[in-house]
Amino acid sequence: MIHIKKFSYEPGEHEAETASSSYLMSLIAIIVGLPLPIVNLIATLIFYLGNRKSTYFVRWHCTQALLSQLSMLFINSFGFWWTISIIFTEETITSKYIAYIIAVIIFNLTEFIATIYTAIQTRKGIHVEWWFYGSLTNLICKSKS
Amino acid sequence: MKKTIIQGIITVLLFFGTWFALTQIDWVKVFKVQQVTDKTEQKLGELFWEVFKKTEKESQNPLVINSVDSIVTLICKTNKIDREKIKIHILKKDNINAFALPNGHLIVYSGLILNSDNQEELTGVICHEIAHIELNHVMKKLVKEIGLSVLISMTTGNGGGEVIKETAKMLSSSAFDRSLEKEADIKAVDYLTNARVNPEPFANFLYKLSDKEHEATKYLTWISTHPDSKERAEYIIEYSKGKLTEYKPILTNKTWNNLKEELKE
Repeated sequence: MIHIKKFSYEPGEHEAETASSSYLMSLIAIIVGLPLPIVNLIATLIFYLGNRKSTYFVRWHCTQALLSQLSMLFINSFGFWWTISIIFTEETITSKYIAYIIAVIIFNLTEFIATIYTAIQTRKGIHVEWWFYGSLTNLICKSKS
Repeated sequence: MKKTIIQGIITVLLFFGTWFALTQIDWVKVFKVQQVTDKTEQKLGELFWEVFKKTEKESQNPLVINSVDSIVTLICKTNKIDREKIKIHILKKDNINAFALPNGHLIVYSGLILNSDNQEELTGVICHEIAHIELNHVMKKLVKEIGLSVLISMTTGNGGGEVIKETAKMLSSSAFDRSLEKEADIKAVDYLTNARVNPEPFANFLYKLSDKEHEATKYLTWISTHPDSKERAEYIIEYSKGKLTEYKPILTNKTWNNLKEELKE
């Protein structure tokens, strides 16, 4: 699922720190914005926009963090509004709903662990590419040189 | 590029696969999620009815009972509703009110009958309440207002008598959500037209009482708890437009007059 790859150049100390922060950003936002799935996306997005003109390594990791948050947004929002409709409308708790919530928790947890791991590795200047998101980022984020 | 798309599809499939696999387990049973059963509803119906039975006087007059029964039976018959399900009770009270309790208990106050100018008005209100019963609004409201756990504890005898009394009072003196009220109104018009009863007097009844709203509203429970009577009257009229025009009274005029006379005493 997670591959350690060699980046096109050796990132500097400052780059590694900023890249690592992009993942930490989404982690902190998860704690703050747990009930509202949009908060962590906004946090990562702001960080992404702030570092758009940064070096390739930083941009690359900001993009990966943003993309992973984006897909979680869809999954989490659906679960969020489903829960709201159960609380406020005539919807009732079904096995289908509980199964969805469990699936959401599993995926969020996986993402959470992957994020922590990646944050630690990028801090050390190690380039980590995720399954799917890594190759997607490679398509979006190109080296300027 | 191709690799990314395939990986993306696999990721999406993985999520839905996980969800699908998890739905194979009956989580509702695993987590013992409480759900309303027929038994709960039956018991609640009895409990709430007991409250009213103890505090109010039920009319035992055969003419009154039979007349209202004729109306309810005809409505049920023409709308394919199980007559056994609706348990009608007429209470001697001046309030202009009618309401539904769980398990098909339908309570009509004599004040409502006395203040109806004609039988169509009364039939309209009865249809509205039957619609609440048929659409399962009563249990929905109870679950929403006081919660399932409290309801279930009531039926098992753990709920205090005071809670039951308060809840029964709430059911008799508060309306449902706007959307539920509208749904019941529209359904009531359907019931009325199926039974060949003119729905217009039902709308007029709302109009008439909404005008009185500023005066002494002491007895106008049914109207004061049902907001926007004018608006309701309008959409009832709108909805009943173009429906059949050949109407037939359920009770003879003589019976209707006798019914009112009997209740006045």
